[in-house]
Amino acid sequence: MFICGYHFPASMGNKIEFDKVIEKVTAGAGDVASVGSIVLTSETREGVKLEELSVPKGSFLFTALVDYYKNTDVEGDFKMIYYTNKYQISEISKAVDGGTTAEICKKLDDMNLYRVKVA
Amino acid sequence: MSELRQIAFYGKGGIGKSTTSQNTLAAMAHYFGKKILIVGCDPKADSTRLILHEKAQCTIMQLASEVGTVEDLELEDVCKPGAAEFDPANTDITEGFIMCAESGGPEPGVGCAGRGVITAINFLEEEGAYDEDLDFVSYDVLGDVVCGGFAMPIREGKAQEIYIVMSGEMMAMYAANNISKGILKYANTGGVRLAGLICNARMTDREYDLAKHLAEQIGTQLIHFVPRSNHVQRAELRRMTVVEFAEKSDQAYEYRELARKIIANDLKVIPKPLEMDDLEALLMEFGLEEEVEADAIGKKATA
Repeated sequence: MFICGYHFPASMGNKIEFDKVIEKVTAGAGDVASVGSIVLTSETREGVKLEELSVPKGSFLFTALVDYYKNTDVEGDFKMIYYTNKYQISEISKAVDGGTTAEICKKLDDMNLYRVKVA
Repeated sequence: MSELRQIAFYGKGGIGKSTTSQNTLAAMAHYFGKKILIVGCDPKADSTRLILHEKAQCTIMQLASEVGTVEDLELEDVCKPGAAEFDPANTDITEGFIMCAESGGPEPGVGCAGRGVITAINFLEEEGAYDEDLDFVSYDVLGDVVCGGFAMPIREGKAQEIYIVMSGEMMAMYAANNISKGILKYANTGGVRLAGLICNARMTDREYDLAKHLAEQIGTQLIHFVPRSNHVQRAELRRMTVVEFAEKSDQAYEYRELARKIIANDLKVIPKPLEMDDLEALLMEFGLEEEVEADAIGKKATA
């Protein structure tokens, strides 16, 4: 089973508790306190840039995007986010970040392509 | 040397099985150096064209009918090396390679396609195509398993690990559930397992949620959501995979990620297909079907 890019062994079944995912993502992100800001952009499938979103510090969403940026093998300054990952990150954020990320998660659930840059 | 894994891509006709499988297998060879044999099990013989850069490969059944019987064929007549970087002789880009064979089948409306599939697989095995250097054999199988012929790779214990290509459309979901029933039927006798759903997205509303829920209920995982991209069509026009056509494109990265997951995947289950009522309830929950009052069923629309 793969969530947020991490592999969870088959012995854990096909429903992984969010706590287990958060544990791995937090470890992967490392020291997020030193991260200044995250730039999250959306664009259509034709590549037309739509908007720039700010991500609240201290949220799971923030940590997950730092983790993604640091550990993904996608190249580039602004790294495209795999669709699977953006949906999975959004699902967990909606459950654990309360209302603080609700608006961004609603956008992440759409069909647009998102890119992230961590400064 | 790692153990040979025999995987298969199943799914509803027209869902994009051949495109998805070729792009994913290309990524496995290109980025991860995997050595692969593709056995196309579709009479259309389109399971290898993007790897070979050809219109369609001559099939084993076609060649056998030309020379008399399948016993008269040589392995090199039917099993071709992939083009360019997928050729075993070309190690400039990758140590990985892809060999290609197409089983073919009878003319439309005549005979059983499944017999062609199993004849082809047996021939390839006997002639040594399942070489010890290979990491993966991949079967690309037409339609769903309602026709017993196309269940051959499962029934005969050839394919052990099944990936179902589906989308958030109703008929693709029905087909995915039907294929799970087929896997369940042979799971105990042949050891075949469901390894995951691949959503070849149509980009419909809530498609990820719907595919994920179906996967969970069947007892498996949605291993990857592949977005729609014009790069796929552009590459196909040149008879290429996206991995070759635009290796640094977003879509090539998506296939690389799916390839990475398949290589590392250990979640192989005996599926728990849904009853029709449960599947319809799922489709209704996600808005693919509208709930209809019992007394309205079978009634014509009012003008």
